[in-house]
Amino acid sequence: MTQQSSGIFNWINTRLPISNTYERHLSKHPVPKKVNFWYLFGALASVVLVIQIVSGIWLMFGYENTEEGAFASVEYIMRDIEYGWIIRYMHTTGASMFFAVVYLHMFRGLLYGSYHKPRELVWIFGMTIYLVMMAEGFLGYVLPYGQMSYWGAQVIISLFGAIPYIGESLELWVRGDYYISGATISRFFALHVVALPLILIALVFMHLVALHEVGAGNPEGVDIEKYLDEDGVPLDSVPFFPYKVLNALVAIGVFGIVFSFIMFFFPEGGGYMLELANFEEANPLSTPEHIAPVWYYSPYYAMLRAVPDKLGGLLVMAAAIAILFVVPWLDRSKAASIRYKGILSKIAMTMFIVSWLMLAWLGTVPVTALRTTLSIIGTVIYFAFFLLMPIYTSIEKTKPVPERL
Amino acid sequence: MKKFSFLIILLLSINSVIAAVGAPCGDYGECDTFKPQLTNIESLQLGALTFINHCYGCHSLKYSRWGRISKDLDIPEKILTENLVFGSDVKLGDRMTGSMQPAVSEGWFGIAPPDLTLVTRLHGSDWVYTYLRTFYEDSSKPYGVNNMVYPGAAMPNVLALLQGQQILSCKDIPIIASNGGVRRDEFGNDITEEKCGYLKTIEGSGKLTQQEFDDYIFDLVNFMTYVGEPSRSVRERMGWYVILFFVVFTAFSYLLYREYQKDYH
Repeated sequence: MTQQSSGIFNWINTRLPISNTYERHLSKHPVPKKVNFWYLFGALASVVLVIQIVSGIWLMFGYENTEEGAFASVEYIMRDIEYGWIIRYMHTTGASMFFAVVYLHMFRGLLYGSYHKPRELVWIFGMTIYLVMMAEGFLGYVLPYGQMSYWGAQVIISLFGAIPYIGESLELWVRGDYYISGATISRFFALHVVALPLILIALVFMHLVALHEVGAGNPEGVDIEKYLDEDGVPLDSVPFFPYKVLNALVAIGVFGIVFSFIMFFFPEGGGYMLELANFEEANPLSTPEHIAPVWYYSPYYAMLRAVPDKLGGLLVMAAAIAILFVVPWLDRSKAASIRYKGILSKIAMTMFIVSWLMLAWLGTVPVTALRTTLSIIGTVIYFAFFLLMPIYTSIEKTKPVPERL
Repeated sequence: MKKFSFLIILLLSINSVIAAVGAPCGDYGECDTFKPQLTNIESLQLGALTFINHCYGCHSLKYSRWGRISKDLDIPEKILTENLVFGSDVKLGDRMTGSMQPAVSEGWFGIAPPDLTLVTRLHGSDWVYTYLRTFYEDSSKPYGVNNMVYPGAAMPNVLALLQGQQILSCKDIPIIASNGGVRRDEFGNDITEEKCGYLKTIEGSGKLTQQEFDDYIFDLVNFMTYVGEPSRSVRERMGWYVILFFVVFTAFSYLLYREYQKDYH
């Protein structure tokens, strides 16, 4: 029996690179032996991606992409489909958790300079994933067609209208109608469930291929490729399988606890994950008192509101995301990790964290004069962190980076 | 230390998010707290009865089905169809779409009475519980009543016979000094001022006492909370098992991880 099955395996293996791929990317793929918990969020992000795809497919079984039926079909999933509520909450909690782990993953990148040469492309693929995720999240939020779906879409789509010359026709083209309607829902549905997930999966694949080509970083910023054993394997590395897989397994367990706790006990996330106004069907005739995005867009929404001019706000918001793409070229420091960078980088990083969190809060609350001022200050600090990076990272004195991990 | 200060900043910003939410119950201020008892079947049954008798004439529960109520609330089908379902052509699998035509009711009330399936999720059960208990007499309004939580509400106080007359009254309130204590005169007596806008029920004017009425509304809102998310009690029970699974999973994967880690440490 064993002989027979190994015969079949050999037959396939000579035609499909199974053992080669397994060795190259798992059993022999070297990863730094000493990393900390910050290095686990990438694995968690891929777990959430799978959750989103699987739960999304199941949601499609019951969802109706029409103006008349969308809202009711979500309630149908919540009530009439057996355990439909688990699928729905898995998807809504998953959306928030996807952003949570990706934000932590990105922050790890900034903290330990994961974008440093030769990992620039890994960073750029990652940033593109984030960009697609933002679009994906927005499109998905419109689908249940509640009040916040409608008015949130109204605000975001009208941003296209601020672009000079082509704005108005672009707005119409995106919406598919003169106002948000069934035409908008059905195209957003197609984009949300087919187009963007395909792009997302392709990008995740590229992100991983690029990562495996250059190898994973570490919190010390040490280049482990410098010291190799006689087989050419870095001395400070261990094979990905089984060592790092077990590491990820523990992380998945802890993450599972957090995820289930939110999903089963606080699925609305206090109104920051599922906004309460969205429990009312979309009504074009009644604007909600206070239109706020879900928490993961709020820092950028705060920036949008900080600028009095609509086009200006749009540009600032777009620039805030765009600037992240060029971070590999803004950071001139000799040390990748914050551990060996100078005091200026540490101050800048702290101010960046504070301003980002402040903007995240400001994006969820109604506007007042003081809050607008705070939003402007937060936006300025956010941009200063990036724009001044070439200066403070090149003039400060860094500590010597160790040779070995 | 740096990690610690990061945590403090995080906590502070979370705190300010919560503090930024204003008085949610209109003129009433903070809503009265409502803790649902979704496993208290008797309360849910009484609430369902109240809803059908007093609310369902105008308000539908269109996402909910009769059969689901019968199953979840342990109401035998026969009793449900004989006592709660009006109309012989209604089947158990039907949605509770109500009996009033929105076009007609819009003419009567100026606005069609909204569907209430999700009202407790939209406004919160606290809000609904407070709203239903804060109608007061106001002769300037078409139905002679106004509401503290939702001033200008187009809904008549359908439970007035049970609650009795509720009016706005004034009372003497001790003045609080800037140091937080009560201000006193030279003889040590509290200095008070008259403040208005307090709800007062005229005793004996309704069929129920205030406590009985509060309990009555509790059951009603408890039922409405259930209808807002019928699977909630299952969800909260199941959650503990799923978490338990992940705790065991984490424990075993940690042991395995530690065992393998010995290879390279």
